[in-house]
Amino acid sequence: MDNSIYLFAAYSIAWVIIFIYVFYLFKRQNALGRQIDKIEKALRREGELKGGHL
Amino acid sequence: MKRMQTLILPFQFLTYVLMLIALYAIFIHAPVEKTMGLVQKIFYIHLPSAFLAYLAFLITFLASVLYLRQKDPKWDIIAHCSVEVGVIFCTIVLITGPIWAKPIWNVWWTWDPRLTTTLILWFVYVAYLMLRRTVKENQRANLSAVFGIIGFVNVPITFFSIRLWRTIHPVIITTHGINISWPMKVTLIATFVAFCFLFFSLLISRIKLEYLKMRIEGIKGIMEEMNYSRGVYHGQ
Repeated sequence: MDNSIYLFAAYSIAWVIIFIYVFYLFKRQNALGRQIDKIEKALRREGELKGGHL
Repeated sequence: MKRMQTLILPFQFLTYVLMLIALYAIFIHAPVEKTMGLVQKIFYIHLPSAFLAYLAFLITFLASVLYLRQKDPKWDIIAHCSVEVGVIFCTIVLITGPIWAKPIWNVWWTWDPRLTTTLILWFVYVAYLMLRRTVKENQRANLSAVFGIIGFVNVPITFFSIRLWRTIHPVIITTHGINISWPMKVTLIATFVAFCFLFFSLLISRIKLEYLKMRIEGIKGIMEEMNYSRGVYHGQ
């Protein structure tokens, strides 16, 4: 009974689902990283402004 | 948190190695089943995925109970992340099942008790995730916790459905043990261990992300407060 196509389909789809989720986590991590960069820049600017006033 | 970060990398590497071992066991070590042929090997990802979906929803149930008792946001985060990972594994179950069923039962889908209850289980937890997106932030954690507790009722119903009702779904785990040959048992154990590591890798990564998001929101809040107080000061 050759039904290897079903086996291939099942494993491929399972791995694709896992990889999509890992990619989603990776994308979210990048988005949070960008937010941290923004905060860091804002704080630096604030610090520079304070330094200027002094 | 720092200790967790140093542990996560070796843990993920171990997951990778175990996955390779599991794939070797499935495709090289495990024998081809006489009547079903190669398609029986789908079982090695189908069963661990189902078990891990149940485990994820159990974690959600426990974390939801703890959240309602302690009102600690960490339990809400754990419950939410666990549902997300659980839905991923439940999706794998619902896709690999029909792919196995087509050559064996000659149909993609049948309204068998196990299949139907699993589909309902999936819908319940997808609804949980949708609820979190639609509910206001101040009500989100409480409502999700209640949903996480009530939704868990479906897990034992799904698990015992093949024992409670007449079904065509194979019964592998019985009171006498697992009804498969030793090489198949070894393969199943290897896959089981690898999938457990994969599950916890995904869950820990997801929880870490949610903590990071919470900390960023906190910092943003502090910055807004600082800007507001400065504005008030300048206004005076």
